Amino acid sequence: MESHGNGGGSMVSLRGVCKRFGKLEVLRGVDLEIKRGEVVCVLGPSGSGKSTLLRCVNLLEPPEEGDIHLEGRSICRGPGSGTGEQSWDLDFVRQRVGIVFQQFNLFPHKTALQNVTMAQEKVLDRSSAEARAKGTELLERVGLGEKLNEYPERLSGGQQQRVAIARALAMDPHVMLFDEVTSALDPELVKGVLDVMRELAAEGMTMIVVTHEIGFAREVADRVVFMDGGVIVEEGPPAEVLENPREERTKQFLGLVLER
Amino acid sequence: MEEFLKQFFDVGFMVDHFDEVLDGFWITTQLAVLSGILALIWGLILSTLRQLPGKAFLPVRFVTIAYIDVFRGIPLLMLILLIAGGVPALEFLPEWLRLPQWFGKPDSFWFGVLAITITYGAYMAEVYRAGIESVPGGQMEAARSLGMSHGQAMRNVILPQAVRKVIAPLLNDFVALTKDTTLVSFIALNEVTLVASDIQSETFNSSALTLGAIMFLVVTLPLARLVDKLISREQSRFTRGAPRVEAL
Repeated sequence: MESHGNGGGSMVSLRGVCKRFGKLEVLRGVDLEIKRGEVVCVLGPSGSGKSTLLRCVNLLEPPEEGDIHLEGRSICRGPGSGTGEQSWDLDFVRQRVGIVFQQFNLFPHKTALQNVTMAQEKVLDRSSAEARAKGTELLERVGLGEKLNEYPERLSGGQQQRVAIARALAMDPHVMLFDEVTSALDPELVKGVLDVMRELAAEGMTMIVVTHEIGFAREVADRVVFMDGGVIVEEGPPAEVLENPREERTKQFLGLVLER
Repeated sequence: MEEFLKQFFDVGFMVDHFDEVLDGFWITTQLAVLSGILALIWGLILSTLRQLPGKAFLPVRFVTIAYIDVFRGIPLLMLILLIAGGVPALEFLPEWLRLPQWFGKPDSFWFGVLAITITYGAYMAEVYRAGIESVPGGQMEAARSLGMSHGQAMRNVILPQAVRKVIAPLLNDFVALTKDTTLVSFIALNEVTLVASDIQSETFNSSALTLGAIMFLVVTLPLARLVDKLISREQSRFTRGAPRVEAL
């Protein structure tokens, strides 16, 4: 499975990852390899564990069991790890993994530009001039060069989400996680956000995209992963998984989604 | 009726004693402003301690919660009496702590500041907490996922939003605090209540106390209006900027 051809080493690797919330088993042994530069779309019905999987990768929800490697380094150490407040490797992870949320989670008391510069200054110790230059460049790239000084409440959902993408990119991540980033958007605003992600994929960014946008997955993904009930049911190139799914559950799900 | 007015609203009497009462109210003001500022800071510290994450900080959270519960639960007057009567008797303390006379203010002033700060710090900690908890969890997640530490996220993301939401309730507490400074008259601080009630017992005329009450109104009424204004502004802001959740 060759991806964009920039090395292809393992970027993220999950082995037997389990995550429980109380008695509820959300992830029940997930194995997944993501190569450098690869774009993986994760599909599945709600409650299948897709979002939790993403949140395990950047340790927002440290898994109870299993191994996660990021760029070859173990960030989650076997059974029982991560149940407390694991501070080890947190900086290593957060500096390499960017995440964009369904609900944008922009800082409402900061302008678009300040949203993008804050962590650059506080976490990466960039000078404010440096952070502003980078922030301006990124906001222009996502088509918001005119909105630098607007507060989030004055932006549309799609614009807010593009600011959120710029905010994550400003930290120079090696992997980007997208957690149903278009699900809270009005239909006419979805395209703008997907276009930004398309461009990012074309530039070779490693991306894990949890989405319901089958069209996007078909067009952009190197690989599609179908999850249900906390496990990976099926994975493969989009043409295979989306056009000729092997598993019954995948067929059912795709039937329901594509029917619309 | 005339007797009633003479007892409570004798204008000539008020004019005669205006300077005395105002001097007392100036002490009251200093007491309220200093305790108010300290309680605002102390409350913020308490609420931050209460929000520290993880197992390691469990004892800190426990002690903080116990502190808040205790001092919200006991009467301020008792605390004032406990401090003013107890601290000077603690021989092991150096004199500048046992009988503080800082900045030319008597020890009763400083004991009052201490008691009010202790009590209202606990009240205000609860107000801050409400504000912190009203900030959506996604804000902390976003900040942490950008690599900020818990402390950085609190300082730069959570608290600025939380404080904005609780300015009105904090001001409410400040109004209550201002009125509660009168309790320090019990330990013989020459604030407005004591001054005016001394005049009352010497002259059998209550108008000086009425004058003191009017001085309170001059301060508290504008504050109450300001609180109303802030609340309605916050509400209109909320309805306008409500989170968009179209397709969950």
